[in-house]
Amino acid sequence: MKAITVIGARLLQTAFVLLAVITILFFMFRLMPGSPLAAYIDPNFTPEQQAELMARFGLDQPLWRQYLIYLGNLLQGDLGESFFYRQPVAERVLALLPNTLILTFSSLILAYVFGVLAGAYLAWKRGSVVEQICVPLVLTTRAMPEFWLGMLLLAVFSFGMGWFPAGGTRPPGAEYDSLWALYSSADFWWHMTLPVMTLAIYSQGLPLLLMRSNMMDVMREDFVTMARIKGLSTFSVVIRHAARNALLPVMTSFAIAVGYQIQGNVVVETVFSWPGLGRELVRAVSTADYPLAQGAFLMIAVVVILMNLVADLLYAALDPRVTHE
Amino acid sequence: MTLPLRTSAFAAMLSATVLSPVMADEIRTINLVTRPQAAQPAEFQFTQLIAQEWRRLGLDVNVEVMPWEQMIQAIWFSRDDWDTTAWQMVGRPERSDPDEIVYNLFHSTTAEQGFNFIGYNNPEYDALVEQQRVTLDPDERREIVRAAQAMLAEDQPNMMLAHPQSTYAFNTSVWNPDTVVDQSGIGIRNTWSYLQMEPLGDVTDIILNSSDNVTAINPLYISGGTDSWITELVYDRLMRIGPDGLPQPWAAESYEWIDDTTIRVTLREGMTWHDGMPVTPEDVAFSFEAAGSGEAPMYGPFVGSIADITIDGMDITFSLTEPSAPFLTASLSKINLIPMHIWEPVIAEQLTLDTNAESFQEEVPIGSGPYRFGSWTLNEEVVLEANAEHWAAPKADRWILRIVPNVEAALGMLRSGEINFLSDFPGDPTVVVAAADEDPNLTAVSTVDIGFRYVAFNHRRPPFNDPAFRRALSASVDRRLIVGAAFRGFAVPSNSVVSPALGFWHNEATVEGMEAGIELAQQMLEDAGYMVVDGRLHYPEGVSETLGE
Repeated sequence: MKAITVIGARLLQTAFVLLAVITILFFMFRLMPGSPLAAYIDPNFTPEQQAELMARFGLDQPLWRQYLIYLGNLLQGDLGESFFYRQPVAERVLALLPNTLILTFSSLILAYVFGVLAGAYLAWKRGSVVEQICVPLVLTTRAMPEFWLGMLLLAVFSFGMGWFPAGGTRPPGAEYDSLWALYSSADFWWHMTLPVMTLAIYSQGLPLLLMRSNMMDVMREDFVTMARIKGLSTFSVVIRHAARNALLPVMTSFAIAVGYQIQGNVVVETVFSWPGLGRELVRAVSTADYPLAQGAFLMIAVVVILMNLVADLLYAALDPRVTHE
Repeated sequence: MTLPLRTSAFAAMLSATVLSPVMADEIRTINLVTRPQAAQPAEFQFTQLIAQEWRRLGLDVNVEVMPWEQMIQAIWFSRDDWDTTAWQMVGRPERSDPDEIVYNLFHSTTAEQGFNFIGYNNPEYDALVEQQRVTLDPDERREIVRAAQAMLAEDQPNMMLAHPQSTYAFNTSVWNPDTVVDQSGIGIRNTWSYLQMEPLGDVTDIILNSSDNVTAINPLYISGGTDSWITELVYDRLMRIGPDGLPQPWAAESYEWIDDTTIRVTLREGMTWHDGMPVTPEDVAFSFEAAGSGEAPMYGPFVGSIADITIDGMDITFSLTEPSAPFLTASLSKINLIPMHIWEPVIAEQLTLDTNAESFQEEVPIGSGPYRFGSWTLNEEVVLEANAEHWAAPKADRWILRIVPNVEAALGMLRSGEINFLSDFPGDPTVVVAAADEDPNLTAVSTVDIGFRYVAFNHRRPPFNDPAFRRALSASVDRRLIVGAAFRGFAVPSNSVVSPALGFWHNEATVEGMEAGIELAQQMLEDAGYMVVDGRLHYPEGVSETLGE
């Protein structure tokens, strides 16, 4: 019973955060230097045409009314019309979101599976030569800028070896009946390899180091010593007892990492010509396309907020000591 | 604020009493606006060079850096508030006719709202460019256009710098190099290449790149450079700008001037839309009416001179409000032919809405052009298929445009074969040339552009209203230095808005007669009464600074 009210409160809180994000986004873009006037109104236009376009964009209204109109439209699922493309924002954003999500989650899952296992292993190998080599190595990968790493992988594996294509999600001119047909094709995975590797290499450091330090703490605890005394196998002690307990903070970091990762996508999508939301976002911001920029940011914010909610709720399921009461 | 000015003026008076008993004001700090280095490296470089030379003349120059979105606000929409700015005109096929540049950029009527944002006002010049517009005899008109250029060279309304070269490359093992067309003022990236390029082997698709996304594929919306590559192939026009830069009949079988304000165009027989319907003279007339309907605001100016259109068999007769020499280029070569059965209901519907035809995106754009629409994957790719039934059917099978925002990757893709035609390379052209030198399968072609780079002077603000001052500032910088240092040799020096790429119209004397040097500039200023006192340039006698802080 209590759990339900707690979850309800948590949902309410999420809704509030979302509203705050929407509001900040709305005003943030309008306070930026540069005006949509400059970007979209052809200097050849007569003053009447300019005024007409301003009215169409709703830019002739006072700011507070623009905000209320925006909120009202949002409630009806209408994200507005892009100044630049003259097309509904929702359509564009929803068309590009899957490309970004598949890149984000593929690379994060890869990074976290590897990071957790390697972190546990390195904690186990504490003080060994392996640790002395691997930890600085991991720190190095953390320090590499993503665009640099991406260009490096491109130079080596695409232009050097010719193993992977240099950009896009499909070979030139290839057609697929549906999004699913594209995502399940070998060509797609082949195209996705380098961008996923770039993001995964960049993001495996966090779960790895987090897992390692958690493990080192957990390994000192009595129940691990107990397990050892019981004569359980090394595998059983490390994985089934220690790792399960060390995993919890890593779970939370996963939710947060989704947000960071989408940020990283902006760069990787440009390097690998990946048609995702990140690139669209940069473009929208640089051309003062308010509705598109807001829509794209909103999508990303929704994903991040949802991931945090899921992490919160899962916490209780994973760790019986945490309750919602 | 006034104290230091007064003291320096006083000191100046003491030192210069013999030459000039009355002391004029010191010229205020001059702003020079440029876009950031990251976005426009050549521009950033040449503004630094120019500022340096101007400082040697005794001017205090402040280089102000701002992105394009901000710049257009600060310059274009605030016409009284700036001093000098780097600016550019880009080359477009319809700028092959000098009218758009010699008229729009400098005619006094376009000073308030239009392209004459510098506020140049010279009645004599106005008369000349008005005259070239109504002179239908090409040779006669050429003399007027050349005279207009000479007048600009004398007046120096802008400081012309260079016509950049555009550099593109292609794979010679895929495409027969003899069939790639280098269009005057445009380069090898043009419709003629895409029609005539002949495959040598198994690869029969032209795979090219753009760093920009495709915004729209709409025959009534000038939505961007990359988009126009597509519309030029999907849609026919009555005339097309040929490889020599001059308009030639395309969907028109022929054309004939009946009198100064009437032109009769005969439509080619047997044309069909991509959906199988025949192309009729009614469709053609409708295309021009749609462009002028108000629902396609960007195309409106190109049909503004049309008073009436009548149809007789396959003949379409345009009556014009006044004689128009640029009509063949600016209207007949510009307006996309669109099917009435698709667009008439759209225009009718748009007339009732507060949006216009620019917002309408066809699922499958239907034209009559040499390529038909295949597919469009958002921010990734556009595929066009050869229209075998077209009278000028392409030799290639498909035309595949890949969106590659990463410029370095685009060059890598050309080397690896992922693309076979490098149609966009905003980076350093020497890199492309070096890559082509290294790889026997690649050829790079650089072509002098119709477009140009310059520094604009605001004539509304002294001292830029003084032609002598502008001449001196312009003469202070050797253009060869700009070409070498800012454009790395990939440009030609300019002193005329009409590019040497437009050989017929270009007045070469303007460039050849150009002298430059800091001593020359100093002499010019001195002759005009300007003087340097304590290292700072002062106005001639009797002129006071009205815009200082």
